[in-house]
Amino acid sequence: MRRAAIGALAAVVVSAPWLVAALVPRQQRYVLHVLIFTALFAALALSYDLVVGHVGSLSLAHPAFFGVGAYTAALLATRAGWPFLGALIGAALAAGVVAALVGVPLFRLTEHAFAVGTLGLALVASVVANNWVEVTRGPLCITEIPKPVLGVPGGPALAITTLPGHYWLALGALAAVVLLYRGLTTFRLGRAFHAVRDNEPLAGAAGIDPLKYRLLAFTIAATVAGGVGALYVHYLSVMCPEEMTVALTVNLLVIVFLGGVGSLRGVLVGAVLFTALPEVLRLAPTWRLVIYGTLLLLVVVRSPEGLESLLRRAAR
Amino acid sequence: MALLEVHGLVKHFIGVTAVDGVDLAVERGELVSLIGPNGSGKTTLFNCVTGYLAADAGRVLFRGRDVTNAAPHRVARLGVARTFQQVSVFPRLSALENLLVFLQQHQEERLLSRLLRTRRLRRLEAEAVERAHRLLELVGLSGKADAGAGTLSYGQRKLLAFAAALMPDPELLLLDEPAAAVNPTMINQMKEHILRLHGQGKTVVLVEHNMDVVMDISQRVVVLDHGQKIAEGSPQTIRRDARVIEAYFGR
Repeated sequence: MRRAAIGALAAVVVSAPWLVAALVPRQQRYVLHVLIFTALFAALALSYDLVVGHVGSLSLAHPAFFGVGAYTAALLATRAGWPFLGALIGAALAAGVVAALVGVPLFRLTEHAFAVGTLGLALVASVVANNWVEVTRGPLCITEIPKPVLGVPGGPALAITTLPGHYWLALGALAAVVLLYRGLTTFRLGRAFHAVRDNEPLAGAAGIDPLKYRLLAFTIAATVAGGVGALYVHYLSVMCPEEMTVALTVNLLVIVFLGGVGSLRGVLVGAVLFTALPEVLRLAPTWRLVIYGTLLLLVVVRSPEGLESLLRRAAR
Repeated sequence: MALLEVHGLVKHFIGVTAVDGVDLAVERGELVSLIGPNGSGKTTLFNCVTGYLAADAGRVLFRGRDVTNAAPHRVARLGVARTFQQVSVFPRLSALENLLVFLQQHQEERLLSRLLRTRRLRRLEAEAVERAHRLLELVGLSGKADAGAGTLSYGQRKLLAFAAALMPDPELLLLDEPAAAVNPTMINQMKEHILRLHGQGKTVVLVEHNMDVVMDISQRVVVLDHGQKIAEGSPQTIRRDARVIEAYFGR
């Protein structure tokens, strides 16, 4: 039953471009664009949840890692002429390396100081993106980032040029992130992460090195965020400093905490709802933010543990 | 060579010397109790031995190996298990997982093996699950295997924490007040558990205020007062020791 439901859902998700074409032919491009954003945001939110949900460290630095990945990919693709896969891997590694380097001093800080430290990192990254004009072109943005071409040099290549193509690419990336997320958050790794989150001193007595596991989650999350950044710029063809402001952190916090912190299903539901919802609300532009804000408040009041707890109660 | 050796351990806090040059040697297979009035430095000594506090002076040797100020996870992996005075479990893990997490770090820890769940790791996991069920049964928590540890009662959590400490089959077990704040039936259970471990050849050191428990089961008693060791010996001699009586009851 459950397996069948997941299968049906997967079929709908994979065939979405055709469904959209059949159901809303006139808005096809716009709806697909929203779906691509949803998939990318879902992947980004899952990576964020590895840190805030599973090792319980409130990092606010995720836009920095997303930005490092996005700019690395943009620069590698435009200035160095790297192929898409090379730029993607380079972007992910760059973000991961930055996280590993800043993570060591940051995790020496206690809870709240850690949050403030990571916020500082996000702000610094944003200032650098705006002002290091020789590299990032600042507010002029890096433009003409080529569309992704899948394939290895010398072998067959598949150029992603259409919106459905971008959608499937984003969906494939999301599927990979879901698998990674499941692998990391269950079985022995998940248990070690959760032990550190729930009771750090006791985790030590269990033979777990809390710093090591926190750094591991932080670095992997940043690597994924960097990869998502690369996909993002190859889709939009442009990278501007405002893509990596603190507003992105707010979006991620809304998705993760109102969806269901530490839960795959909760974060996915949150990503769909809180990426698609503001777009749907464009139908009532004047009231858009008022309605959105009211809905956020309602979720917080009615189900402070996120939509996931509502889903769980409904399943019972 | 003793299993655990503490040489001249000193720990200062602001304004007080909590542990003031304590020497302690615990032989393999011994059952030793650490007693003393409140604030005499018993728990601080435990915390220094297990890496939770950095000692200001002195050395700690386990199996002849210097573990002075090693991180808690390193000490744990060498085979020293401990429980905490404030009952300590992972509230959002199930009772079963609370036990599993205490064994897994002693086994294969490579990221890739764990991510891919190698066949070897799945076999180890199955064995760990079996062992965890046996230990849960031993402490009478079989029916609670899948319950969240945070939902258990105080006494149940105490038993769970004790069972968790046994999971990796530690060579040395440091128990911080196993009989505190539990009912008389459970005190007897705890006594039996400790005696059984001792019977199996395990080395146990306990900090305990309950004198009946201490005098009943200990082979040797070490008395601390104001951070110093003031007496050491069999329960019978300690009971009659003038300095001990003075420390507890005043002059």
